[in-house]
Amino acid sequence: MYPPTWPALGTTQSQALADDWKIFTYAALAVALLVWGLIAFAALRFRRTARNAQPRSQRDTNGPLEIAWTVAPLVLVIVLFGVTYHIENDVERLAPNAPVQIAVNAYRWGWTFRYLHGPTINGNLNAPPEMVLPLGQTTEITVSSSDVIHSFWIPDMLFKRDAIPGRVSSFDLTPSKPGTFLGRCGEFCGLGHATMAFRVRIVSPSEYQHWLAYEATQ
Amino acid sequence: MSAAALPRVTAPERHDILSWITTTDHKRIGILYMGTTMLFMLVAGLLAMAIRTQLARPGETLIDAHTYNQIFTLHGTAMIFLVIAPFALGLANYLIPLQIGAPDMAFPRLNATSYWMFLFGGLIVFGGAATNEGAAAAGWTSYVPLSEISISSGLGQDFWIVGLAMVSVASIITALNFVTTAFIFRAPGMTMWRLPIFTWEMIATALLIFMAFPSLTATLLMLFVDRRLGGHVFDPAYGGSAILYQHLFWFFGHPEVYVLILPYFGVISEVISTFSGRPMFGYTGMVLAAFAIAGLSMGVWAHHMFTTGAVNNPFFSFVSFLIAVPTGIKFFNWICTMWGGAIRYTTPMLYAIGFLMNFLLGGVTGVMVASPPVDFQAQDSYFVVAHFHYTIAGGSLFALLAAVYYWWPKVFGWMLDERLGKIGFWLTFVGFNVTFMPMFFMGLFGMPRRAYTYADAGALPALNLTATVGSYLMLIAALLFVANIIVSARRRVPAGNDPWDANTLEWATTSPPPEHNFESLPPIRSARPLWDLKHPRSQAVVVKVAGAP
Repeated sequence: MYPPTWPALGTTQSQALADDWKIFTYAALAVALLVWGLIAFAALRFRRTARNAQPRSQRDTNGPLEIAWTVAPLVLVIVLFGVTYHIENDVERLAPNAPVQIAVNAYRWGWTFRYLHGPTINGNLNAPPEMVLPLGQTTEITVSSSDVIHSFWIPDMLFKRDAIPGRVSSFDLTPSKPGTFLGRCGEFCGLGHATMAFRVRIVSPSEYQHWLAYEATQ
Repeated sequence: MSAAALPRVTAPERHDILSWITTTDHKRIGILYMGTTMLFMLVAGLLAMAIRTQLARPGETLIDAHTYNQIFTLHGTAMIFLVIAPFALGLANYLIPLQIGAPDMAFPRLNATSYWMFLFGGLIVFGGAATNEGAAAAGWTSYVPLSEISISSGLGQDFWIVGLAMVSVASIITALNFVTTAFIFRAPGMTMWRLPIFTWEMIATALLIFMAFPSLTATLLMLFVDRRLGGHVFDPAYGGSAILYQHLFWFFGHPEVYVLILPYFGVISEVISTFSGRPMFGYTGMVLAAFAIAGLSMGVWAHHMFTTGAVNNPFFSFVSFLIAVPTGIKFFNWICTMWGGAIRYTTPMLYAIGFLMNFLLGGVTGVMVASPPVDFQAQDSYFVVAHFHYTIAGGSLFALLAAVYYWWPKVFGWMLDERLGKIGFWLTFVGFNVTFMPMFFMGLFGMPRRAYTYADAGALPALNLTATVGSYLMLIAALLFVANIIVSARRRVPAGNDPWDANTLEWATTSPPPEHNFESLPPIRSARPLWDLKHPRSQAVVVKVAGAP
């Protein structure tokens, strides 16, 4: 299983999400470094010393400068919004007729995975359930809850969606890496929240067919 | 100060306990408010230490899940509702009349009412811990259905509701008092555009309280009706929904985070201006930015709900991004206030610079989580915990400490020790960053918040241990702060009226000020009446610019 460190980016969607993370992290760090630099420079350069005993100016406005530092951030956030909008649309687009469709139900404290035309997998804190998905094929997951709010979260896929009682909500995952990924509850749900886990195992399409056939005999 | 001292018309001041209980003096109410929040902070801080101790290593069994859930619920609730916000209300209680040259608040008895409601509201929230099933344990957000009676049957949750409703109403009353006072009790010459920035920020804060807190009061009432009177307000079977609760809660909850920061923007503005020896740069821009932040913050609530799949993510994302613009204006103005000054590195100034450094990271990571594709991972993970601690702890709490060191001499008439203060600052600054920087990575790596334990895998054990070490550094700093008060109280180094060479009106009266605040007022011809007084030649320029005869 992938350990909790840098996310493994196990789906095609998560690669787009990672792009958003990178763009926003670089933008955030660039702005922060610039402003940290200005703060540090001002704080050190203008400290009171024998040579700098008096403030050298009492000037308190500068129109062009003030307009510049209003407009520049405005332009930056509009550009960033364009990035966000584009990537979110990409990630949230639902493929028509996804080959695998799973209804996920969360409860205190476990998960039920109901495959359309397939098995139903159930597991709780003692025996976390495992979801098996075929590599490269789009899976549509529909989440809901039968008691409080939970959240279906796979950190290595950079994605979570809340499981809310009285409501269903769908999203697509297209696995792009084989292996077993840790999934967990992402919304505080009481005593079992910390350990309310599941696993997602990505296998080749042929192995997936074998697994389906095997489950059908159980 | 040529005017002769006015004859005293008030009775001699009394200092017995009864006089504190019955007081309507805004300064005493301010001291009660701030003192109470400091005690609540002590409790909430020790709760945080319990959290960090439990999480120092994976699989720790010191605290069980139920106790842990109560601890983080009380920690968050107390820090937000009983410490950071009410300290600002207490400080404003103390300062607004002094800064505008008034003898008291507009409604002194209402003022006392709101303090006592706040105190007992807070005690009731904590009092839940004494009930059979313990304190509220559904988080400071108390989402339904988790907080409904079918799931959380304990009385602690009801104590939480009733206590917070009292705190909420108290805040609304206080906000009303602030705005009325600032609008109609200003001394002759103190026009709106000469108000100190702190007072301006409190006016913006009060307007936010007017708009946001009624939603909190209503939501709490609905939750109570659901729990105890069979209301089914949030029950899907009766047309309600869990999403509805989130909308109502965050309609209050997001403006609330600006209630937690705007007053401290005011504190930082005063401190930086004083210790740089310069006027507040971009005064008009600062004021407009405060109102822009207040206005925009009313339109971003559902960015807390990006992962529900039930809201218009792009709209709430864009409005959230826009808040970066007025916040940026404030940062550039603070930097330009320092620029060209002669900066004195006092303890309050160090905390102010620490505020700028920390809050900046809180701000840029705020833009990150306002992007839904980032939030899909960050939501309810330690990334968000790191982000909001950089704003509320690294930001507001640092400014709170700046305020304590800055106005302490005015309130008590004697100085706090600067050397202990500076050591405390460095411990707090290093400890804070060592605690919260690793949390960005914990969240990105998949650690959920509100989890009492975690698996011994990957990078989580090392990151958590680092955070715990940092938190103990902050604990040492907190002890040092208490020691500073004790040591300085013994020494009693007199402060004088104006120990920092500051420029706003509160420094024109004695330390502590008399019950009626001012024996006489200097002429008020700019936002810096004391600077005009100390620099008579420049005053002429100001008068000329203002177009006075």
